[in-house]
Amino acid sequence: MTLLDVRDLRVAYRNPSTGAQAIAVDGVSFKVEKGETLGIVGESGCGKSTLARALMAYCRPGGEVVGGEVLFDGTDVLRLSDEGIRELRGRRMAMVPQDPLTSLTYHMKVGPQVDEILQIHQQLDAAAARLHTLKLFEGTNLPEPEDIYGRYPHENSGGQRQRVVIAGALACQPDLLILDEPTTALDTTTEMQVLKLVKELRDRLGMALVYITHDLTLTDYMCENVLVMLDGKVAERGTASRIFTAPETEYGKMLVSSIPRLDSAPPPAAATPRPEAEKPAEPLLAVERLSFRYRQRWSLAALFEPKDLPLAVDDVSFELRPGETLGLVGESGSGKSTLANIIVGLLAPTSGNITFDGTPINEIDKHRSAELRRRIQIVFQDPLSSLNPRRRVETILTRPQEIFFGVRGQAARDRAVELLEDMELSADLMRRFPRQLSGGQQQRVAIARAFAANPDLILCDEITSALDVSVQAHVLKLLKGIQQKTGAACLFISHDLGVVKQVADDTVVLKDGRVVEAGVTHAVFDKPSHDYTRLLLAAASRREDYAELQMSTHPGRQAGTHQSPEGYSC
Amino acid sequence: MLVNDKPLLSIVTHSPGTAIGVALVSLHLLNAVFAPLLIPYGPTQLVGAPVLAPGHPDFLLGTDVIGRDYLSRLMMGGRTSITVAMIGVLGAVLLGTFFAVSAAHIGGFYDDVVMRIVDTKLSIPGILFVALFVVGFGRSVTVLTIVIGLSYFPGAVRTIRAQAMTQVPLAYVKAARLRGESALSVIFRELTPNVIEVVVVEFAIRTSSAILIVSALSFLGLGISPPTPDWGLMVSEGVDQIYTAPWLILLPAAFISTLVVGLNFASDGLANALGLDAARGLHGG
Repeated sequence: MTLLDVRDLRVAYRNPSTGAQAIAVDGVSFKVEKGETLGIVGESGCGKSTLARALMAYCRPGGEVVGGEVLFDGTDVLRLSDEGIRELRGRRMAMVPQDPLTSLTYHMKVGPQVDEILQIHQQLDAAAARLHTLKLFEGTNLPEPEDIYGRYPHENSGGQRQRVVIAGALACQPDLLILDEPTTALDTTTEMQVLKLVKELRDRLGMALVYITHDLTLTDYMCENVLVMLDGKVAERGTASRIFTAPETEYGKMLVSSIPRLDSAPPPAAATPRPEAEKPAEPLLAVERLSFRYRQRWSLAALFEPKDLPLAVDDVSFELRPGETLGLVGESGSGKSTLANIIVGLLAPTSGNITFDGTPINEIDKHRSAELRRRIQIVFQDPLSSLNPRRRVETILTRPQEIFFGVRGQAARDRAVELLEDMELSADLMRRFPRQLSGGQQQRVAIARAFAANPDLILCDEITSALDVSVQAHVLKLLKGIQQKTGAACLFISHDLGVVKQVADDTVVLKDGRVVEAGVTHAVFDKPSHDYTRLLLAAASRREDYAELQMSTHPGRQAGTHQSPEGYSC
Repeated sequence: MLVNDKPLLSIVTHSPGTAIGVALVSLHLLNAVFAPLLIPYGPTQLVGAPVLAPGHPDFLLGTDVIGRDYLSRLMMGGRTSITVAMIGVLGAVLLGTFFAVSAAHIGGFYDDVVMRIVDTKLSIPGILFVALFVVGFGRSVTVLTIVIGLSYFPGAVRTIRAQAMTQVPLAYVKAARLRGESALSVIFRELTPNVIEVVVVEFAIRTSSAILIVSALSFLGLGISPPTPDWGLMVSEGVDQIYTAPWLILLPAAFISTLVVGLNFASDGLANALGLDAARGLHGG
C-alpha cells in the first residue's frame, strides 16, 4: 500500500535582494510503499535535502514549494493547516538530520529532550515518558541508558548522539522516517553501526524509510529502490542493485565509476613494481619511534591542576622514498592529522625522530630553514578555510613564489597560470576570491599553492573528504599528474580506504596513535593481518560480518564508557 | 563600491530602519561639514534680545539666554562632539584591532596580559573613569578625545579578539605560518582583513555612544567649554528656563537623539548586512 506519493514536486529559492528564483527541486515524483526503503542519491547542491524537508512541509529560509503535491497516506501534506501538519510531524513522520550535535539542544540533558516529544505527542506524564525514553535508548543499542539519559549532548560520542536523535525520531513509532545524510558526520565504523541499527529497527517496526545520501555504496546496503538526482531533477531510478551494477544514464555511470572501489584492480600507476635494485638506499622521509602528547594550553588553572593527556601518536615509525606515495589510514582520533602537523613543524614531537633527506627535523617550523619549509608542503582538509577569504587566487599563488624564490610580478603570475593549468583550471580564475570557487576548484587551488613551492614532499591531510565523489576522483587524478610531473613524494592521509588503495604505493594503518599494520598497499588490502584493518575494510565495503569484528576490536564502544577523544584531534 | 560582493547601496536599502538611519546620519554629517557656510549669524555673536521664541522673523529658532541665534548654535553644536567622538573611537578601534589580532595570533602569556589589562579597565565604571580623567588632566578637546579613546579601547579589543579567534585556527593561517610569514605579516596581511567587518561595525556603534558621553560630560560641565556651541552644553544652559522656554532644551536634545538614533539604526543595518555575509562566506554558500 502506498504510504507516500510525491507528484511533480517543485521547490524554489528566492534571492531576497534580486527577487530571482532558483529552482532547487524540479518536478520530482515518486512513491514509497509501507515498509519500503527508498534511497535518494545525488551530489551536494542537487536538491536532495530541500526535497527531504519539503516532504515534511518544511522549507529553508527563502524556500517555497511552488508546485506539486506530497500525499502522505492520502492527505496532501502541503495543503494542511499548521495544526494538521504538527499532528503529522513527529507522530507519523519523523526526520533524522545530518548533524546530531546541532539537532540536540546544548543546554539540556539528552533524556529529557526525548521525554518532551513523548509528553507533547503521547500526553505521557513525566515518569512514564522517562521510562519510555529509557526503553527507546535501549532499543537503539545505547549502552547504559540510565547513564546516557543524564548526559548533555557534548558528553556523548558522535555515534551515541546520532542514536539519541534516532531514538527521538522513533519515539512515536512513525510510519515514515526521513534520514537526511544521517551518518555523514560520523566515521566509517560508527556509520555502519548506525545504519545497521536503522535497518533492524525498520524491519522490527515496519516503517518506511526515505534515505538521503551522497554515497551510492550506502544505498546499495540500505535500500530497495534508488532515485538519482541531478540539478533538482530525477536523473535515474531503479532498484538499488541495478543502479549500482548497471547504471543506464550517463550521470549514473559517472557517479558509479567515481566511487573508489576496494574490489577493483589497482590502477597501473599505483602498482608500479619497484625493482629491488633501484630502491634508493636513503628514504626521503623517515619517522622513527615518534610519540606525541598534547600539552595543556597555558593557563593559570593548568598550573595548579596539571592533567596528563593521552598519547596522540604512540611509537610510530615508517619510511617514505622519493617520488613515492605513502597512505596513512585510520579513523578520526587515530592521530594521523597530528602526525602530519608534526612533520610540517606545527607541533614538536614529544619523543622520537624525523629525518628528512638525511637530516633530522625534529624542531618546529620557526626553527626550520626556509629551504626545508619549502621542500615540505601540506594541503589541508577543508579547502575553503585553507585559503584566505580576502585574497584573490592570484595573490594566493604568487605569494609562496615571492617568499621562497623571490619571484614576483609578471614572472610569478605566469607561473601561477601554469600551475592553474596543471590543475585544469582556467587563467580566468586568477581574479576570483576563494568564496567564488566551487569546493573542487578551491582544493585544486590549494594543491597548486603547495606545488608553487616546488616541494619534494607533499602532505595531503584528508584532502578529498570534503568533496563529492566525482570531484574527488578528478582531484586525485590531477594530484597524481602533478606529482609525476614534479617527482614529489606524497604522504596521503585519509580515512577512506578506497581512495588510499587508488593512490598509495605503501600503506600504514593507525589506531589510537599506534601503527597496527604497515606494508605494500595491495598486500595490506588483500591480506590484512590485523583485525582492525579487517574492520576498516569491512566497514568500507559495507559488509555484514562487520558487526562481529566490531565486537573484537572495539569492546569499549559496546560497553559504552568509551568516548573518542575528539577534542584532542587536530 | 562593493562590500562582500554586494553593492553598498543594497546594504543601505536592506531594511527601512537602515535607510532611515543612513539618511539621518548623512543629514547630520552634511550639516556638520557645511554649517559654517550656511549659518545666518555667528554662533557666539550676541545678535538679539535673550530668549526669543522660535518663529521670530529674524531668528528662525529664536535666541538663547544671552541673545545668540539659536539656529546657528544648533547647526554648529555637533561639530566638536562629533569630531571628538569619531577621532577618539577611531583611535580606540585601530589600536584595539592591532592588540586584539596580535593577542589572538600570539596567544599564551601575551594574550593573557592584554586581556587582563582590558578586564581591569572594563571593571571601572565608564562615566567615573571619564570624569576623573577630565578632572585630573584638565578640560580640553585633546584630553576629551584621548579619554574617549581610552574608554572604548578595551571593548574594541574584546569584540575584535573574539572575531580574530574564529580565524586563528583556520588552515589559511597555518599555511601562512608554514610559508614563513612573519608574525606582523600574519597579523596585518592574513588576519586583519578577515576581521574588518567587525571593526567597521564596532566603530559605528561606539561612535554613537561616544557622542552621548561627550554630550553628557558637556552637560555636567566637564566636556566642551563655553562659548563653543555644543548640544550638551546648550541643554545645561537651558535648564533654568525649562518651564518658561522648554525649546531651549528640546531642540538640542532632538539634535542629539536624531544623530544617535540614526547611528544606531545605521550600524545595526550594517552589522546585519555584513554579519550575515561574513558567516555565509566561511561556509561557502
